Amino acid sequence: MADKYLELIGITTRFGDVEALQGVSLSVARGEVVCLIGPSGCGKSTLLRAANWLTPPNEGTVRLDGSVVGHAPQGRATAAQIRALNGHRARIGMVFQQFNVWPHLTALENVVRAQMVVLRRDKSEAEAKARQALADVGLSDKMDAWPERLSGGQKQRLAIARTLAMDPVLMLMDEPTSALDPELVAEVLAVLQRLAEIQMTMLIVTHELGFAMRVADRIVFMEAGGIVEQGPPQELLSNPRTDRLKAFLDKLSLTTLPKDREHAEI
Amino acid sequence: MKFDISYTIDALPRLLEGALVTLQVTLVGFVLSLSLATALTVMREANNVRWAHRALAVYISFIRGTPLLVQIFLIYYVSPVIGLDIGPYTAGILAITLNSAAFVVEILRGGLASVPSGQFEAASALGLKGPALWGKVILPQTFIASVPPLVNEFTQVLKASALLSTITIVELMRVSQQIFSRNYHPVEVLLGTFILYFLMCFAVSRSAALIEAKLELRRG
Amino acid sequence: MTLDLTIFVDYGPRILLGFWMTIKIVVLAISLGLPFGVVLALARRSRLRVLSWSALAFIEIFRNTPFIIQVFLIYYVLPFYGLRLPAEQVGVLALAAFGSAYFAEVIRGGIDAVPSGQLESARAIGMSDLQAMRHIVLPQSLAIILPPLTNQMLSLIKESAILSTITVQEMTMTALRVQGETFRPFEAFIMIALLYWLLNEVVAIAMRALERRWTTKPVEGEA
Ligand SMILES: Nc1ncnc2c1ncn2[C@@H]1O[C@H](COP(=O)(O)OP(=O)(O)O)[C@@H](O)[C@H]1O
Ligand SMILES: [Mg+2]
Repeated sequence: MADKYLELIGITTRFGDVEALQGVSLSVARGEVVCLIGPSGCGKSTLLRAANWLTPPNEGTVRLDGSVVGHAPQGRATAAQIRALNGHRARIGMVFQQFNVWPHLTALENVVRAQMVVLRRDKSEAEAKARQALADVGLSDKMDAWPERLSGGQKQRLAIARTLAMDPVLMLMDEPTSALDPELVAEVLAVLQRLAEIQMTMLIVTHELGFAMRVADRIVFMEAGGIVEQGPPQELLSNPRTDRLKAFLDKLSLTTLPKDREHAEI
Repeated sequence: MKFDISYTIDALPRLLEGALVTLQVTLVGFVLSLSLATALTVMREANNVRWAHRALAVYISFIRGTPLLVQIFLIYYVSPVIGLDIGPYTAGILAITLNSAAFVVEILRGGLASVPSGQFEAASALGLKGPALWGKVILPQTFIASVPPLVNEFTQVLKASALLSTITIVELMRVSQQIFSRNYHPVEVLLGTFILYFLMCFAVSRSAALIEAKLELRRG
Repeated sequence: MTLDLTIFVDYGPRILLGFWMTIKIVVLAISLGLPFGVVLALARRSRLRVLSWSALAFIEIFRNTPFIIQVFLIYYVLPFYGLRLPAEQVGVLALAAFGSAYFAEVIRGGIDAVPSGQLESARAIGMSDLQAMRHIVLPQSLAIILPPLTNQMLSLIKESAILSTITVQEMTMTALRVQGETFRPFEAFIMIALLYWLLNEVVAIAMRALERRWTTKPVEGEA
């Protein structure tokens, strides 16, 4: 890809003695959908959380559309840098495995609040935007519901609507369907698929290989804090070049067979 | 006026004597409070007389709803009026005991609730009854379960004892008042007193945290 | 001993004046101490060492010393540094400082009880630390904070009696004066004891009603 919209350059993250990321570099083009796969603990979440500087790495640089989101190592951030970072974050939507909807606010308020606080939109504009976003994820009839009353799938769609209302230029998703009951996975994947169709730039950590096949422009396979292999889905999944990806795919297809469902943890 | 640390240092020997009295009063008050609260707890559990439970509830509510200082004044000033010639020490310790016991009763209630009910049944199956049941089985476990909040209550009594200075008991607070009313250096003297109180309370509450950690560990 | 009911009639108004002073002092101390308690709780969580250590020191010092010595120290230290305030104001300051240390611990407990994902999602969407606290974390802490906060407020009412030792004309001071003039200590002190008790119960009931109103919103964590 020639066009580098999101650039992660030489990201190294250490937690105590554990080196979770070892100088990882990855770029995502505008409108591209990249799926991150790899065994548990290989650093997928950490990489994603470096992209919006939620977990600042020890070394490395993140750029979005050419402007620096974060650069490490760095001394104490200045007030201007913090403001700039918050500005970037407002345009980078993040969706979490555990949804993290705000339980003290109704569905509508969940979507309205950050628009008003962060983007300083006035109430009527924010509400119009929120209604549109909730409609986009199929939650028009749940505007006034408390999150507690929503199913897991509805909560995750609410979380997506919350980021969509901010007019994001990039979406980061960390296993958006892993915490869902199997029968609720499809409704969330459908929303993600629509986002892909309207050319939303997305970096998605997922274990849903079928979904990745359908929507991803590129799949990136990580292991032990580094990128092992990447390429177009079809090519990568049917012709893995490395033994490590082969082993990962073997284990995945074995363990996701219905009779082995209890070992499906990866 | 400038801060002169030598006044703090000069006051230290007498302040330490005062601290000793503070510790004595605290210890006596706490032991009496624990005994009274234990008696009240056993009484509450062992009988079903409605008015006795009511009276206990009113007593606890009154004690917790009013300032300790007012309770101290009530006992200290009223006792001679009703013909009880008790000195300030007796009055003060009585006030602290009655006050603290209301809190300890609640602590023991919590501790008692953590004793599995199977213990009662097992013990009575063995033929244990009344005093033996309580003394040998129930109370020891109640106390062990209540150790962390009891240590905390000890620091409360320690802090409360400073109020006895208002009824002329010569404990740490009173000693410091006596010293600075003569040398006119309240800041230096009070600072020394303040530090002594802090060291005593901090030591006790740290040990409470340590005990709590140990107990957690033992529970696994 | 016979009860002299005329004391209640003759001195009741004076006692009520003291009662009013007690209420004023406690309300002022809470309205100063509560915001400062929030500041302390946030400072305690700060990544800046100086800030978190100072907050910790303040909290531990005020929680591990008797209120009466805090009152005396503040009462004598302020003029030592040239700040001469009326006893009432010194009393409010002392009570607010004392209360803020306890408020801070209660608030910190409430903040810690909110799952970390809540703060993270707020930060990820572009909120500053303070905005995330104000809009996302603190509102969720409220239900957890409110019951122990109520207890601390009740404790301030009771501790305020100690301000009588620095001649603040609150209710306990008034009762001391009345008993000095009448030699009827029982009437004087039982009168204020009942008023403290009443105030305690009224505040407790009001706060419980407030708790219920807040907790009707679903503020527990997600399923
Ligand atoms: N906050 C943290 N503190 C300490 N170690 C962490 C933290 N977050 C992640 N790690 C460690 O970093 C490694 C990568 O974790 P993560 O990025 O969550 O992996 P993945 O998302 O691929 O499962 C793991 O070994 C994990 O234990
Ligand atoms: Mg992960």
